[in-house]
Amino acid sequence: MSKRHSIVPPISQAGPKPPVQLSSSLTIADSAVLTGSHPIAIHGETVIHPRARIESLCGRVTIGRRCIVHERATLGAVGVSGRVTENAVTLGDYVTIEVGAAIQAGETVIGDGTTVGVQAKVGAGAVVGKHCTLTPHTEIAAGEVIPDYTVIYSNGMRRTDRRGVTELRNKAQARQIEVLRRMIPSNPAKFA
Amino acid sequence: MSRRPPKGEYIETDTGNKVARKATLVGTQNIMLGGKTVIQPEVMIRGDLARSVPPTSSSGGAPANNTAVAIGRYCFLSRGCVLRPAGRLYKGVFTYMPLRMNDHVFVGPGSVIQAASIGSHVHIGARVVVGELAIIKDYVRILDDSIVPPNMVIPSFSIVAGQPARVIGEVPEGGHEAFELRDLYKTVGNNPQPAPS
Repeated sequence: MSKRHSIVPPISQAGPKPPVQLSSSLTIADSAVLTGSHPIAIHGETVIHPRARIESLCGRVTIGRRCIVHERATLGAVGVSGRVTENAVTLGDYVTIEVGAAIQAGETVIGDGTTVGVQAKVGAGAVVGKHCTLTPHTEIAAGEVIPDYTVIYSNGMRRTDRRGVTELRNKAQARQIEVLRRMIPSNPAKFA
Repeated sequence: MSRRPPKGEYIETDTGNKVARKATLVGTQNIMLGGKTVIQPEVMIRGDLARSVPPTSSSGGAPANNTAVAIGRYCFLSRGCVLRPAGRLYKGVFTYMPLRMNDHVFVGPGSVIQAASIGSHVHIGARVVVGELAIIKDYVRILDDSIVPPNMVIPSFSIVAGQPARVIGEVPEGGHEAFELRDLYKTVGNNPQPAPS
């Protein structure tokens, strides 16, 4: 075994510790950040990568089953208005939030099977439908409603996904989660 | 804070790597640095996403190589960039593929790299997203804010830009000296030298 240790600078666990409701089959990295005052609920078999941030300062955050939240993604970022709503961010099942994506708080909903691309931004109150794909650097304006099966490109182009590969994608996601569960040391006790 | 920090901002290794203390390297046992590589603060490298299926090799006795991220000499990883191996289904099993980077690769600030391999003398601009399992050959210049789609193969001596990225030109004759990173390497670290004019 190697003697080298990972050099991971300490993370600032700033802000209050939120009340959490974590599933027992969850994989959450030690260096993920959960902060805020409202409850955070994460359902079964979801994977939270290191350095992901989940903030519940503006309301409740709910993450569905078998979601993957990548590093540096921010769920429930405080928007310009900063108003408190009952549900800040709700993710469906099989949602992937990629590296550095930001989901603003304020009744924002991401539907089942949707992928939010690298460094994409979803504004407050936006409702993204099921099985959508937001490519990297996409920006969804606040309050926008995106129908199901929409693919949105960062240059604003949109089309409807008619490939019908939802089942396959869900299966691939389940496989990926299976692998990640073995790879990412989980420490849900830290957040409880 | 009045007292000067006792330690420098960078950790300098025997092989000349300069790794910022504020860089986040996860799974360092799976990260290979070739030497003389600069890793600036807030860089994140995911070495923990290693191959989960052993590669089928003809030499059965060789020890399993678990390297997730391999970086060559004189690479420069700017502030805030992320290097992570990409995953895919391989023979029905999900596995991460190692990310290989050759010599003299510059990665601009805020870029996210999920490529399969990057050749030598590659310049990647700021806020670039390199999609999963893209292959970038030698002497390629990727301009700022480009989004390289997944699985794209970029041939040598191309200039690439756009969302999604496409080849927009060629590196001119004699233009490949601009890819040298030896001078840039000297300008960072605990006792940086000024850039030669």
